[in-house]
Amino acid sequence: MGERLEEYSMKILVCIKQVPDMESKFKVAADGAWYDTSELAWRMNEYDEYAVEQAVQLREKEKDAELTVLTIGGDKAIEPLKKALAMGCDRAVHVVDNESFKKEPYQIAGIIAEFAKDKGFDIVFTGMQSQDRGSAQVGILVAEMLGIPSISTIVGFAYAGGAIEVKRELEGGVKAKVSAKLPALVTCQLGLNTPRYPTLPNIMKAKKKPLDTLAVADLLKVDARQSTEKMFFPEKKGGGMILEGDVPALVDKLIAILKEKTSVLK
Amino acid sequence: MEEFTREIYWNVGHGFMTLAPMYLLFIAAMVVLIRGFLERIQVYRLGQPVNRMDNWQARLVDAMRMIFMQLKVARVRRPGMWHAIFFWSFFLLFIGTTLIVLQADFTNLLWGYKFLKGGLYKIFSLVLDLAGLAAIVMLGMLAFRRYFNPPEGLDTKKDDAIMHILLMAILLSGFIIEGARMAATEMNTANKFWSPVGYIFALLFSGLGEGGQLATHRVVWWLHLLMVMGFFMLIPHTKFRHIINTSFNYFFADRGPKGKLVNINLEQEDIEKFGATEVADFTWKDIFDGDACTLCNRCQERCPAYNTGKPLSPKKVVNQISEAAFNTPDASLIELIGKDALWSCTTCRACQEICPASIEHVKKIVDLRRSLVLMEGEFPGDEVMTAMEQTEVNGNPLGMGYAGRGDWAKDLDVAVLEKNADVDVLYFVGCYASFDKRNIAVAKSFIALCKAAGVNVGILGKEEKCCGEPMRKMGNEYLYQSLANENIEMMKTYGVKKIVTACPHCFNTLSKDYRDMGFDIPVEHSTVFLANLLASGKLRVKADGLNCTYHDSCYLGRHNDIYDAPRILLQAAGATMKEMAKNKDEGFCCSAGGGRIMAEEKLGERINIHRVKMAAETGAETLVSNCPFCLTMFEDGIKGAGFEGSMKPRDITEILAERLVA
Repeated sequence: MGERLEEYSMKILVCIKQVPDMESKFKVAADGAWYDTSELAWRMNEYDEYAVEQAVQLREKEKDAELTVLTIGGDKAIEPLKKALAMGCDRAVHVVDNESFKKEPYQIAGIIAEFAKDKGFDIVFTGMQSQDRGSAQVGILVAEMLGIPSISTIVGFAYAGGAIEVKRELEGGVKAKVSAKLPALVTCQLGLNTPRYPTLPNIMKAKKKPLDTLAVADLLKVDARQSTEKMFFPEKKGGGMILEGDVPALVDKLIAILKEKTSVLK
Repeated sequence: MEEFTREIYWNVGHGFMTLAPMYLLFIAAMVVLIRGFLERIQVYRLGQPVNRMDNWQARLVDAMRMIFMQLKVARVRRPGMWHAIFFWSFFLLFIGTTLIVLQADFTNLLWGYKFLKGGLYKIFSLVLDLAGLAAIVMLGMLAFRRYFNPPEGLDTKKDDAIMHILLMAILLSGFIIEGARMAATEMNTANKFWSPVGYIFALLFSGLGEGGQLATHRVVWWLHLLMVMGFFMLIPHTKFRHIINTSFNYFFADRGPKGKLVNINLEQEDIEKFGATEVADFTWKDIFDGDACTLCNRCQERCPAYNTGKPLSPKKVVNQISEAAFNTPDASLIELIGKDALWSCTTCRACQEICPASIEHVKKIVDLRRSLVLMEGEFPGDEVMTAMEQTEVNGNPLGMGYAGRGDWAKDLDVAVLEKNADVDVLYFVGCYASFDKRNIAVAKSFIALCKAAGVNVGILGKEEKCCGEPMRKMGNEYLYQSLANENIEMMKTYGVKKIVTACPHCFNTLSKDYRDMGFDIPVEHSTVFLANLLASGKLRVKADGLNCTYHDSCYLGRHNDIYDAPRILLQAAGATMKEMAKNKDEGFCCSAGGGRIMAEEKLGERINIHRVKMAAETGAETLVSNCPFCLTMFEDGIKGAGFEGSMKPRDITEILAERLVA
């Protein structure tokens, strides 16, 4: 009997978070440590959309790849999961946690790592940060906990032969090309891609894709290392100024203000 | 006393040697004609079924009116009337010929009964004579227009030459036959006075001698017959087929409500394709439309996209679909027509409203858009995709937080149904009047008018969502239906009795499209609602000079035929109205229909600037409109065209609110 070739199938994980739409009117919650969640519209974190899109593009290229999307959140967090499935993820994992907003990045990373540790994911995609907390820690911490390399804020992605080559955007308009062997984790930044609009047949198909629900208690094995003490709106200082009138007069006014209040014309 | 009549088959013979070849030719012609259409019907059948036989009595009556009164054709005055007169003349000649056949080959042949004699013959002779003349003159004018003075964009093809030459030859040969016969038989009778045109031809042949007259008559008689049979045979194979197809298209016409799209069934899970990409995805009527098209060019002449240098011509789209059906049924119509053309449509309905053949242009474009959006996730630009996503999240394409939807009315003491549903009228505000600073002024004006008229009005506030119109017209049926379902459920929950909207897009959608989703609450546009309040004396405004022109929005005008109510309101406001050259059903779009409000206009000249220039030509200081999209586009267009100092765009509601009698 000849040798049986084992088919290699790539396992991809993408982690997403449901966040409030940033156009919402935010109020500080009664406990003063987080925002009030009433009257908010919810959506998939923008950076996570880039992560899902990149993961789906990779999944479409790699035969037999399997793409899992994971989120941690309350019941309504199923909505972005459905969208990710409609965009092309194969299966979804919903870690149900109605108090996920109270967990700090280390705990969130711990939950994800606990879920992922024995699944053999070849590559993990996350957003660069969440739009509501903005710690930009979760992806990096997950990689650390899983003991795999992580590359943050990627704006370009290529995969070939078991390794990835990504572009990172640095300050001052400089870009860096970074490569790593899989398994690895990347956090995705604006400019990486344009997330697709789910097609109707894919929205329909998504309804039939597997969606596993896990209890957060089973996955949370680490303790919090930090806590948010207070959330507040910045005190109003100064403010904008709108100049009106004819253009020549406007120019004079502007120059006067620039001379008086700034140093740009000195 | 001489008898006024004539001998049918004079000089060509009454016997078998005339009738046999004549009827054989006729049968051959009918075979070619019928087979031609049967072949075409096979192609129409490539399309999906759609029932256009419902209400057939009303369809028949309307079709007869359209055909015999040439109602749609004559809407473009000059060429339309020329066609109408030609049609009526040709139809009289057809009736005349039928009467001759009836007498010669039936009543006289079988029972020896002749009715074409005496007084009837006189009328018969004179009418046909003058009809022949009218037909020749009209055909000449039409030929002159087509070949020597054609309007821009008129397609002139081989078919047109065949039609002009054959019809002219048939008409002239008819007079030659008559002239030769009269020259030989009627020069000394009073008969000739009942055929004045024939008599002129007779004078031409009078010098020919009897032998020449008889020979000319006989040869041209057979030639005339051959040409008429040729005409029958050519009907299915040339643009002559419009005689049949356009007539039937009046019968098969969409009977409205105007501009309502057909719902896609989203419940049925086995559907794998949404929208259209190829011929087989369209209905048979969509293919049939191409055969009904006469390339008259009226749609293209009025298309705002075509007129501002965009790659869309409604005429071309209709014909590309039917040409593909006949030649390349598997071709991708999206590639053939081009995405830029498909995205350029503002669904303004100018094409459909003027079409003399009752063709449905807009739904074809939306069908193709549906496949782009629903199957490919494609949009005319990223800004449109963003607007769609924002609508999914916040229920409005502007991306404003949904919770602030009712904020504009905070200080106005307006009932919000969530807290108090005991209102007479629900004002369905719409996205622009809720969030756009300029249009909030319109919403506030409307509330002021309601209060002054003692109307107990309420709003849904943050529970209202976009009506879904721009998304639906852009092809996003899925998003439209989910928005519609949510709005309908909300309004039903509160037991709303009547809805008024100041946005024609909301109005059209709620009053027509929502009807297919189990929604039956009466809906009125604010202009009609206010005009009624004015008429009943509940609303009182003072006439205060206003030098204005009025822009008929596409969705209040062409889509809903509301032209008078806004003008009555403006008159009450004391307006001196100067109509633009293109007004009412000929009104020119502002650019924002068809979901284009969400899209950047990247191709050609800007439509809103084009329209604003038309308004400026009237010398009006105020450009009044009735639609939030129009107002938005005109604010922008007036700046773009550099008319900021001379013209201001206003909504009709603002004009009235300023003139409220305290």
